[in-house]
Amino acid sequence: MSVKKNFEEVLKNLEEASAKLKSENIPLEDAIKSYEEGIKLYNECSEILKNADQKIETLTK
Amino acid sequence: MALKPVKVSQLNSYIKRILQTDPILGNVSVIGEISNLKFHSSGHVYFSLKDETSKVSCFLPASNVGRIGFQLKEGIEVTAHGYIYLYERGGSYSINIRDMESAGQGDLAAAFEKLKAKLMNEGLFDQAHKKPIPTFPYKVAVVTSSTGAAVRDILKIIKQKNDIVDVLVYPVLVQGPDAAGEIAAAIDDINRSYDDVDVIITGRGGGSTEELWAFNEEIVARSIFASEIPVISAVGHETDFTIADFVADMRAETPTAAAEKAVPDTEMLREYVRTIHSEMKRDLRMLVEVRRKHLEALDPSAFGRDIRSRIAMEHLRADNMMDDMTVTIKALLNEKHHKLSVLKETLDGADPKAILKRGYSVVTDEDGVIIKDASRLTEDQLINVESAVGQAKARVVSSGKE
Repeated sequence: MSVKKNFEEVLKNLEEASAKLKSENIPLEDAIKSYEEGIKLYNECSEILKNADQKIETLTK
Repeated sequence: MALKPVKVSQLNSYIKRILQTDPILGNVSVIGEISNLKFHSSGHVYFSLKDETSKVSCFLPASNVGRIGFQLKEGIEVTAHGYIYLYERGGSYSINIRDMESAGQGDLAAAFEKLKAKLMNEGLFDQAHKKPIPTFPYKVAVVTSSTGAAVRDILKIIKQKNDIVDVLVYPVLVQGPDAAGEIAAAIDDINRSYDDVDVIITGRGGGSTEELWAFNEEIVARSIFASEIPVISAVGHETDFTIADFVADMRAETPTAAAEKAVPDTEMLREYVRTIHSEMKRDLRMLVEVRRKHLEALDPSAFGRDIRSRIAMEHLRADNMMDDMTVTIKALLNEKHHKLSVLKETLDGADPKAILKRGYSVVTDEDGVIIKDASRLTEDQLINVESAVGQAKARVVSSGKE
């Protein structure tokens, strides 16, 4: 659950990695690092979004 | 005009029929003060309505109790809506109540303004206390009636937009005297017992001011304010504003709007994440491509390749030039040859030996001078005759013109 809680942050980091990759004159090493980081974050996001097991529960009193 | 005697039950039955077919008595609204209030264990409520001189029995069936938007109390003035019902066995009639309003409508508005001012002064509505609504909740709690339109609308929107978020429906009464207490207790309980809930929606569908009243009660406002979990209020229609709306971290115009605000569209998120992914792949490929091209330009072997091809080009150019020159030279030579042979022919034609060969001879004097005028020769002068083959010395016999 604690990992799950991070979706917003993971997505934000993914957006940052993507933006960095777009920035001009980024050194190749940094670009590859950003890319690898981005792929890792993308996989995390996908993993969370794949998990479509919604539960609707009504408490009974 | 007296009829023959009838039995009591026949009389009551007759009166009942008269009462209950009367259009006015079938739908009455009566103003009075509540007295002899009794809450039966069955849930039914019995009391009397009275004014200065009269009173009438009232019966509020348990099924209608939930509809009453205020606390029933001895001595308060109310307007009761219902129909006249005759209890045949007792021969007594009562008002069977469908709905009730507290007569002091103005009291409600005053209570609302008073509470609003009080809580505002305490800072319960301050922007600084508003907690952000998480953009990606994993669990939404819905505090509302389990049978109302609100829960149906909320679940419909959530299921449409999002197939990940879990929903906990926490059923409560949303109108009637117990509603406020239940709503407040539910919010407290969720904070205490369900720490995986990321956001709470509390509210109900549209209704009269009385029906929405629970959301104007202080106890609800306090619970919303105390909630560690962000709360979205969703009471009634766009135009309804309740105390709960002021204190909540976010106000939604309707329950449907609350659901819209509470959860993101997971399909859109998936699409978004996929787009970022493919953009990154493309960006990196482009980045590498630019550098590869750059590197290629600096590569010594490519440089050597360039030189070699340059040399080959120059070779070709020289060869072509050479070819051109050869052709030109040849043409020039041909022309000269031709000219020469023409000259030779002319020369050949002019060669005296050639004339001799045709049978002519050349005559010269002793000095070798060619005789062009034979009349100038003298008798006995020695002359030389030269033919194509051989020569002779001769003596002139005679000469003269013709």
